[in-house]
Amino acid sequence: MRAELAVAHRAFRQLWLTATVWAVVFGATVAASAVTYVSSFPDLASRQQIAASTGQDAGVSMLLGPISAIDTVGGYTVYKCYVFLTTIGAIWGLLAATRLLRGEEDTGRWQLVLAGGTRASRATLATLAALAGAVAIVFAGTVGGTLLAARNPDVGFATGDALVYGLSIATAPAVFIALGALTSQLGRSRRVATGLGMTVFGIAFVVRMLADSGTATHWMLWLTPFGWIERMRPFSENDPRPLLVAAAVVAVLAGLAVVLAARRDTGSGVLASRDTAPPRWWGLQSPLGLAARLDWPVLVAWCGGALGAAYAFGIIAKIATGSIPTSFNDVLGKFGLQGSFLRQFLGVSFLFFATLVALVPVSQVGALADEETSGRLVHLLVRPVRRWTLLAGRLALATTAVVVAAVLSGFGAWAGAKTQGVDPGLGSMLGAGLNLIPTALVVLGAGAVVLAVAPRAAAPAVYGIVTWSFLGDLLASLVDGLGWLERLSLFHYLALAPAQGIDAATACVCVAVAAALAGLALTLFSRRDVATG
Amino acid sequence: MSPASFAIRTERLTKRYGHTTALDGLDLEVEHGEVFGYLGPNGAGKSTTIALLLALIRPTSGRAWIFDQDVWDDAPAVHRRVAYVPSEADLWPSLTGAEALAFLASVHGSVDLAYRDELIERFDLAPDKKIRAYSHGNRQKVLLIAAFASRADLLLLDEPTTGLDPLMEQVFRSCVRQAKARGQTVFLSSHILSEVEAVCDRVAMLRAGRIIETGRLDVLRGLAALHVHATLEGPPPDLRGLDGISNLVVDGTSLECDVTGSMETLLRALTEVGVVHLTTREPSLEELFVSHYGDAR
Repeated sequence: MRAELAVAHRAFRQLWLTATVWAVVFGATVAASAVTYVSSFPDLASRQQIAASTGQDAGVSMLLGPISAIDTVGGYTVYKCYVFLTTIGAIWGLLAATRLLRGEEDTGRWQLVLAGGTRASRATLATLAALAGAVAIVFAGTVGGTLLAARNPDVGFATGDALVYGLSIATAPAVFIALGALTSQLGRSRRVATGLGMTVFGIAFVVRMLADSGTATHWMLWLTPFGWIERMRPFSENDPRPLLVAAAVVAVLAGLAVVLAARRDTGSGVLASRDTAPPRWWGLQSPLGLAARLDWPVLVAWCGGALGAAYAFGIIAKIATGSIPTSFNDVLGKFGLQGSFLRQFLGVSFLFFATLVALVPVSQVGALADEETSGRLVHLLVRPVRRWTLLAGRLALATTAVVVAAVLSGFGAWAGAKTQGVDPGLGSMLGAGLNLIPTALVVLGAGAVVLAVAPRAAAPAVYGIVTWSFLGDLLASLVDGLGWLERLSLFHYLALAPAQGIDAATACVCVAVAAALAGLALTLFSRRDVATG
Repeated sequence: MSPASFAIRTERLTKRYGHTTALDGLDLEVEHGEVFGYLGPNGAGKSTTIALLLALIRPTSGRAWIFDQDVWDDAPAVHRRVAYVPSEADLWPSLTGAEALAFLASVHGSVDLAYRDELIERFDLAPDKKIRAYSHGNRQKVLLIAAFASRADLLLLDEPTTGLDPLMEQVFRSCVRQAKARGQTVFLSSHILSEVEAVCDRVAMLRAGRIIETGRLDVLRGLAALHVHATLEGPPPDLRGLDGISNLVVDGTSLECDVTGSMETLLRALTEVGVVHLTTREPSLEELFVSHYGDAR
């Protein structure tokens, strides 16, 4: 038992900081949404007006989540926060679980733990307990933010409602932690485990969107964790049944993970993978070739994700050909969008694609950092290779992937809309896609500079910049008084084409900044000490 | 181009990390074609020296040259003539052994394919296995094969036999001897003294970032105490306080001691009693090592 306590303690030490950061972000987001609502819509009449105008629009519901009881503070808060908090919670939970339950095994530390007075099943259970503790922190943060908002008498949240809402939000990380624990037993590396988990995440997300597309498909909400969260309808119905389903699924997934951990060989996964293979020579001629060979699945996944998301948004765009709901018009207006509702809708959609495309550099920056910290980079640096060319190659690869993902975003949005008989114009959509490139390159440049100084901080820095930019832009647009936030967001400098005209000057400045950052990174990378493993 | 004066030369080479001095004013000269042993306990600065020679890290002060080329300014040119094996063989897990060898050869730019095939046989490596399926020792073999097959002029080996079994250790030693016979220079950082003793011409001993002894093995041994065991006809004389005598143990008419410098004083004292049997033994490198490092190990 003492060994398991040590395992849980160590795992929790790796988790508590990020869990606390997300807890604060979650709590602040919830509180800001609730307080803004009561100040923007102070009386029943204005609330009924927004509810009536927004109605039950399926397109908006698919995009931003469930529209239910938004003439109440609670209903509106759920509506506003749903997509963002559940998405972030799910991805964070998945990554945390695979890091602790497979990443540790990849590095050999897990084997050291198992050499002590514990077993794989018990150590897995102890780690899951630590992960549950991290979820509890997020739960506490969400509830805390909700109760903080409740101090405003106009908000009027009951403590019980706040607890149910906290549980609904905590459901996403809890389910995806359990999923990550299971995929960590299935895959032979963290990469495979995370890939499997992200695939399930993608499916769950799309199923939720389909479920929200109309009353006929509403039953599909029972098929996805995002649906369970939606069906709980905190503040209005407080339905406990989906929570029970979620708890049962978490128990089954976590239980399976514990059982499989006990049965499989340490260092391997349940899914078979071959130990021998005939040689394949492609990509072995240069460091850049090897980078392309090793990372193409990740890059293709990002590009495919951008295409798929854009295609889905394109399909939804049909709703924007009708009359515009007043509340949605207000929301869009805060983004500074003009033009037809269709163009405004697509403009906001491209903010989502911008986030996806800006995250593409994570894989390359993170991969090179991993090469260095694992000691593999040394094998290249001791050979007749100029050091800067290694980073330049990665930057070129990432830039190519950014361009492809951006073009596919534009094409996907056009193709999706076209299937519904809507034609926003291929040229216009491709232009909107290309418009995403400069900001993504700035993210890449910033990530490269961090890599050149502190490799371990590179990937988190890219995630941080993009998350901050997205949340900053979003909060500044939705919450009055936070306008200053958007100036700190990279996406503030991104014209939301096609609703806004592409600003060539800003785009050029962004590209120039990106080039300067890349140049700085190459210089710093060439001069500093390299981690030698 | 005139032949370089030394394979490796360093001048006051120093590396500090904050207040910690990892290497302190290293002056080192390694000649062409020699096998140079670089000895020291963990943390003495062996790997730091090699990282500096490979321009992986920048010196705080001082300079280093390989074949008369500055290791930092002329890094790619230097690396064309160098092969390196670290103690930790971290390679790309999804590649097979054959693919890793092909990639390392491509990036290095030189490989003796026939010799590489021979080395794969001698090291008993299964090249179709993926790196992730290799044991630590087998991953180490991949790097050793890549280094020897490159036929580089200088082999920088940093505790290269970590994880190898005794049979493979013998293969490694024969490869080092072959490299020397071909005129290649080998810089072997190690704390496996038998390995250094078996293959090295000269050694340097490093302690806390400083070289405390350099020289040929036989000369170094001469600097150390000679171990004496004597059986006498009567009770031994009182040898305490005599110059050069240490670690004296008396058991009846037998005695053991270490003698540094001239044996004359000891022999004169013993012959006064009468010597029945006397043996002397040179110190092993291990004893030499211990006598130099003492409590620092």
